Amino acid sequence: MNIFVQSLISGILIGGVYALIGIGLTIIFGVMRVINFAHGDLLMIGMYGTYYLFTLFNIDPFVSIVITIPLMFLYGAFLQKFFINRVLGALPQNQILLTIGMGLVMSNAVMLAFTSDYKILSTTYSSSSVSILGISISSPLVISFIITAAITAALYWFLMKTNTGQAIRATAQDREAAQLMGINVKRMSIIAFGLGASLAGTAGALISPTYYIFPQVGSTFTLKAFVITVLGGMGSIVGATLGGILIGVAESLGGAYIGSGWKEVVVFVLFLLVLLFKPSGLMGKSNA
Amino acid sequence: MKKIVLAAVALTLAVPGISRAEKVKIGFVNSITGPEAPIGENLTNGVTLALEDLKKKGIDVELIKEDDTGKPEKSMAAFEKMATRDKVAGIVGPYSSKCANAVAKLAEKYKTPLLIPVASKEEITRQHLKWTFRLSATTYDYATILLDMATTLGKPKTIAIINENTDFGTSGAKSAKDYAGKKGIRIVAEEAYAPGSPDYRSTLSKIKSKNPDLVFMVSYVADAILLMRQSREIGITPQAFLGAGAGFATVAFAKEKDISSNVFSSTQWTGDVNWPGAKDFDKRYQAKFGKEPTYHAATAYESMMIMAETAAKTGANQEKLRAALKSGQWNGIMGEVRFADYEGYTNQNKHQMLVEQIQNGVHETVYPPKYVSKKPVYPFPGWKK
Repeated sequence: MNIFVQSLISGILIGGVYALIGIGLTIIFGVMRVINFAHGDLLMIGMYGTYYLFTLFNIDPFVSIVITIPLMFLYGAFLQKFFINRVLGALPQNQILLTIGMGLVMSNAVMLAFTSDYKILSTTYSSSSVSILGISISSPLVISFIITAAITAALYWFLMKTNTGQAIRATAQDREAAQLMGINVKRMSIIAFGLGASLAGTAGALISPTYYIFPQVGSTFTLKAFVITVLGGMGSIVGATLGGILIGVAESLGGAYIGSGWKEVVVFVLFLLVLLFKPSGLMGKSNA
Repeated sequence: MKKIVLAAVALTLAVPGISRAEKVKIGFVNSITGPEAPIGENLTNGVTLALEDLKKKGIDVELIKEDDTGKPEKSMAAFEKMATRDKVAGIVGPYSSKCANAVAKLAEKYKTPLLIPVASKEEITRQHLKWTFRLSATTYDYATILLDMATTLGKPKTIAIINENTDFGTSGAKSAKDYAGKKGIRIVAEEAYAPGSPDYRSTLSKIKSKNPDLVFMVSYVADAILLMRQSREIGITPQAFLGAGAGFATVAFAKEKDISSNVFSSTQWTGDVNWPGAKDFDKRYQAKFGKEPTYHAATAYESMMIMAETAAKTGANQEKLRAALKSGQWNGIMGEVRFADYEGYTNQNKHQMLVEQIQNGVHETVYPPKYVSKKPVYPFPGWKK
């Protein structure tokens, strides 16, 4: 029983970070219909930013997101304005090639600048935990989960209640109609990509006190983000949140009850089952 | 006519013979980029020092370097290129077990001697391959030295094994299982994990519930740190944490004092061992690269020395080079080296493993008694709060 509760809790907590990665990808896809294969690399850049803010300026990783979020937003907006906007009308495979290429440039540039050494960000609380009824809960994971929840809520409010948020949603629903209504869709795309990038960067910042950092770290998370997004329904924020937590829990319980090496199998079987019975994903609306 | 042909053949054979004293062409396959790159860097540095020393001895090595990015197929491609296009005398590398295992059979096919510095999967030298040599001890020795030590220092009854599900990890876990059986230690948990996951807590809490006396881990760099961090979080307290080299032997791991203190690691080499030139190598390495060398650097150095020196004597004739490696004997920074056939192994150096323990952020040699620099701390005193 203890093992079950323990695995469930750590699954949910780590799932929160997965959700954040998934939400970023899903916003970008929703607005632009571009699958961002550089998403994991954006996360990696967030990790490096956090690492250097911590080692050079002694800024705590959880505090540093205040700096990471706007910086990553600007970086994402820059990528959108100068690269992705140019291929929005192009064939999907060209868009995929562009984002893969951007990811490669990022990871290799980082490797050139900081070598391929693993960077370990060690805070005083990196391996600390609180014990409740015999269940130990990682303190950094709890903090990052709370931050994730707060960011998700704020994002939801932004998209639902503000004018810009509504314009973004309108662009996601029908790009041409939105344009006809006087919405600057190019600008919305820039905001959307900036949001996606800053969410990925934030996830990177939140995960760095407990994980490790190296230039190729992105690829694992790109794949994970992709699974989460498809599982939850492409373009759906609630779906991505749900998908992220579901994947976190599936990995954790799979690791505890089937075997650590089978974690991924559990995730992908779950993924295939959802696609079989609900091809548009958990919260997805059929676009056809 | 025949005589002219013979003369021509003799001439072409003789010409490279004249220049061979100065230049030998050696291939070097390594993980320069990719997930194992931090360890690969040690091998590269070791080889760099070897080339300097070889130059002092009047042997000029033309090094052909290839990066396998940690992928077996790239290792194979690199080997084929070196053997056929660059026509190297012999090849040193690759780093990881999965790559070395893939390449070993190619050495046989292209009749090019391969000297594996440190990949330790047992089976690599158990396939009766005539052209593959290995300097380092095997994963079996990784497990035996640790368990020998644990049973000398205490009376462990149970063991949990956690390993990465790669060639090196699986082979290490199997060896530990075999030898634990022989020593009468019961295996209470066996967990093979896929590397790169941010969360091993479920696996570890399962292990905690079994309350093992020993926890044996086979992992590369970053996972070693992650596993120990999460072990601390979950609160696993066995008599001893045993790490099978690799990630546990790195400086990065030792520096994480909170989690690395009192962890044991098996190793092929330490900077303070009394093998000829070892201490000097340690000093020169630190002066040149600004960090402590791991055992990987030492094995790569010694492999390159052996391969280049032997090739300088035999020239580009690969059959002769193979025979010279087989019959030769060396005594350098890795102690005595001889490629022997024993217990089902072919061309395997019977290398003496050591155990180090991390005390105050530094690796100290603690076993076997002959090589000790500090006393081992056993059992594990618990986590610092």
